[in-house]
Amino acid sequence: MSAISRIAIGALVLSAAALALPAAAQTKIEFFFPVPVEGKLAREMTRLVKSYNDSQKEVEVTAVYTGGYDDTKLKAQAAAKAGKPPAVVLMSANFNVDLKLSGDIMSLEPLLKGEETTRTEFLADFWPALHANAVVDGELYAVPFHNSTPLLYFNVDHFKEAGLDPSKPPRTWAELVDAAKKLTKRDGDKIERYGFSMPAGYDYLGWLMEALSMSNGGRYFNEEYGGEVYYDQPSMLGAARFVDDLIFKHKVMPQGVVEAGGVSTSFFAGKASMVLLSTGSLSFIRESMKSPYNVAFVPRNVRNAVPIGGASLVMFNGQSEDSKKAGWKFIKWISSTDTLGGWSRFTGYFAPRKSSYETAAMKEFIAKNPDAKVALDQLPYAKPWFATYQTVAVRKALEDEIQAVMNGKKKPDQAVKDAQKKADELMRPYVEQTALKLP
Amino acid sequence: MRLERRLWRALGLALLVAVAFLWATPFLWTLVASFRPEGAGSVNMASLAPDTPQTLDNFRNALESGAFGLYYVNTIIVVLGLLAVQCVTVSLAGYAFARLRFPGRDALFYVFLLQLMLVPPALIVPNLRTVVDLGLYDTLPGVMAPYFASAFGTFLMRQTFLALPRDFEEAAAIDGAPWWAIVWYVLLPMAQPGLVAFAIVSVTAHWNEFLWPLMVINDPAKHTLTIGLAAFTRGAEGGKEWGVLAAGTLLVMAPLAVVFVAFQRRFVDSFVFSGVKG
Amino acid sequence: MSLAGTTFEGIESGAAAEARPRRRRRLRGRLFPYALLAPSLLFLGLFTYLPVVRVVVESLYDRPHGTGAVAATFVGLGNYSKVLADPAFRQAALNNLVYALGTLIPTLVLALAFALAVQRSNRLSAVLRTVFFFPSLVPLVAAASLFFFIFLPGVGLLDYYLAKIGINGPNWLGDSDVALWSVIGLTVWKNAGYYMLFYIAGLQNIPRDTIEAALIDGANAWQRLRYVILPALLPTTSFVVVIALINLLTSVDHVIVLTHGGPSNATNLLLYYIFQSAHENFEIGKAAAATLLSVVVLLAISLASMRIMGRGSHHEA
Repeated sequence: MSAISRIAIGALVLSAAALALPAAAQTKIEFFFPVPVEGKLAREMTRLVKSYNDSQKEVEVTAVYTGGYDDTKLKAQAAAKAGKPPAVVLMSANFNVDLKLSGDIMSLEPLLKGEETTRTEFLADFWPALHANAVVDGELYAVPFHNSTPLLYFNVDHFKEAGLDPSKPPRTWAELVDAAKKLTKRDGDKIERYGFSMPAGYDYLGWLMEALSMSNGGRYFNEEYGGEVYYDQPSMLGAARFVDDLIFKHKVMPQGVVEAGGVSTSFFAGKASMVLLSTGSLSFIRESMKSPYNVAFVPRNVRNAVPIGGASLVMFNGQSEDSKKAGWKFIKWISSTDTLGGWSRFTGYFAPRKSSYETAAMKEFIAKNPDAKVALDQLPYAKPWFATYQTVAVRKALEDEIQAVMNGKKKPDQAVKDAQKKADELMRPYVEQTALKLP
Repeated sequence: MRLERRLWRALGLALLVAVAFLWATPFLWTLVASFRPEGAGSVNMASLAPDTPQTLDNFRNALESGAFGLYYVNTIIVVLGLLAVQCVTVSLAGYAFARLRFPGRDALFYVFLLQLMLVPPALIVPNLRTVVDLGLYDTLPGVMAPYFASAFGTFLMRQTFLALPRDFEEAAAIDGAPWWAIVWYVLLPMAQPGLVAFAIVSVTAHWNEFLWPLMVINDPAKHTLTIGLAAFTRGAEGGKEWGVLAAGTLLVMAPLAVVFVAFQRRFVDSFVFSGVKG
Repeated sequence: MSLAGTTFEGIESGAAAEARPRRRRRLRGRLFPYALLAPSLLFLGLFTYLPVVRVVVESLYDRPHGTGAVAATFVGLGNYSKVLADPAFRQAALNNLVYALGTLIPTLVLALAFALAVQRSNRLSAVLRTVFFFPSLVPLVAAASLFFFIFLPGVGLLDYYLAKIGINGPNWLGDSDVALWSVIGLTVWKNAGYYMLFYIAGLQNIPRDTIEAALIDGANAWQRLRYVILPALLPTTSFVVVIALINLLTSVDHVIVLTHGGPSNATNLLLYYIFQSAHENFEIGKAAAATLLSVVVLLAISLASMRIMGRGSHHEA
């Protein structure tokens, strides 16, 4: 027998043997995730997923890093349209309404039923503020994974230098203006250091305007009906005027739009003394800020209230039953108390489960990191993130106007009116199918 | 008179060098910043003067955030693989348009040119569907597929062939050489500069591509360089580690720089001899 | 396959049809060009024309987000009128016009200037050529981040050095009046060196005699440029203009990465508008209509430029 024939027979035998072995019933699924701040978070997520794969044999998850929140949505939808929906996606927490309306994501109720648990039971361990964004039309669509609220970060050295007490950060808008005025340093016409700065790029601005209008007593949107927003109401108008004043009247904030990367960089460089940024940047700031800093609640005008931010785990439609089961298994693992706690400590986001804060590891962490404690203390004041029909477009309708205000192109009163008009127009198709559809 | 001319010339030279310096500033900063410690923010972070304690930390962080060696290999596979197929398609098509007469030739040529405006990024969703249907989803060939036919390349080769003298072909035809021999042994060697010019355009364009590969590829082992870089640049909450970003960018740019400097002469010459001039 | 039966331009195929059946050879000959085009046509069909057909079909329907993918009403040209009436589209179109002119003219001027300056083959020129060309080799994702830093208010590269000479820069990316120009600046930086190569080639193809004749006639540098060099470069310029226009209208990576169309739609470009409509606003029909409109405009411009260039190249060939 020639060498080749021997090899051929050997191969045949081996493959026959392999076929005879019981096939490992392993489901392979894909998990798309965006990364909040830095490259190392992508690495940590990959490591986390790998540890899951190593810990069991039934599900193999491929963790796919997909850019920012927008890229992730783009890629997930494109993949779904091409017939290859990802099993699990980490998606911006307020995209759920739109994704449900477009038929992209699936209700998790059947999976809950499969475990003989109810939505209320399942969500019980999650902070109340997170419930509204996880539920659409009375059904569970998302499992919160990491969340944030806005926070006021301030430079302790600057405070001392300006004669302010770092242990008494501004609590009200009036105190904020006062502090900012004292902190702003001028060199003739040029401003060396701004007292206050906040990101005003798309997505961030909408979130912060929600924070400001909420702190002004308002709601921004109707949490129970995705066809109404309240841009031209006094609460938002007041917030818009406040931003306008900070730039043009009190002159403590830079003119024009500054993106989040710019705001954090100015904070590190000592060019801005107080900044409004997400708790999601907490770890990043802790590592990068060389001078002493501290954090405080978002200042109130009428009340303390902030929106949540962050991301939740959703499952896309179009999967096989096996894939759904595997995806759900993975979701349960990655949203377990300890995993969420570890991720929270690593990133600075807060863990969506109350139980994560009962663990010894977390208690120790909070004790060592008082800034994380402040973020936690603000949670009782947290409310849902705006999610409406055409969330992004409706949000942009407001953001474009506020950006124009920040550039001195429009006055706040006109801006919020125009924003409301545009938003109403965008939501009309939905409204006409629901609230305005009469028998 | 001579002094005046020399003065003008010196001024011109100084201006040129100044502009070149301006042009190079982003790269100079990238070079300096990648070795600078504490990358997130300081008042002098924009300074082009290198700091005294140089550090390799940024490079280490950049390399750790992704398998850059692998991304390099993937990108090279995509770029060169694509180029290889494109050379075949554009040479054949360019030859047909330049040397052959057939009904519908001019109309077909304009049909080809349409592609110049219908760039794949504008047609992402339908193209993704096609790629899936062909079974090429999440593969490197899937990234290459929409570009296998190149209107620009066809146009370029047509120009190049048109500009070549026909004597050699005629001689070869009279000698009884088959068409493919004429193309391979006679035309292509003479059209080489056109091919090189096209190669430069194609490689540059696909080296830089971000959106389409992002859509097609899931498997981290198949990521291209641009996707790998995105880890630093697309942070959703907006924090930026400038030092690591600079180091990562440098890692991506450096090999290209080396290649270009080495082959610069040929690049320019090829543009000269191709039909590119018009 | 022999050449008999194929119609060549300018070549008479000597070997007539004697031994083999004429008809079969002629048929094969006639199919030959199409066979050469087949591979290209296959891919073009799959990845260019098929999607376009889909886009055209999509543009005629209205698939309102939220009413389920099932209910798609035929609206004919309804989407087109919606697009034309959308202020964001008009802003994007206007921006694109400003962007096109603002980029094209400086880029061409610089490309030519660079080419004139570094066409000689000495060491310095070689280095300078590298410096100018290099930006086009950098992936836009990387270039955009670099420029994000350069444009950063206060601590960014531009503001840092401007401060040293006492100038207070505007908010380069955050001021709606300035943002588009900053994006233009980035584009010019990235592309000038690329087109410079085309011009270098064009310059080297100008016959020496023409230049020498001008020198003998006593023309100074400026006159040489105006009356000899520029006219001789017309074909190159037309070529570059077409390529540049196409590039300008079809690459929006930097907007996607740097400004997201803002602030207040100041940097919204047509392709980005399409991108947004389709992916952020779920308005597929509108996006499709906008795509077709943009393509039609592009087509018109390209055809016009091709005509001019076609005339130019016929002078050569």
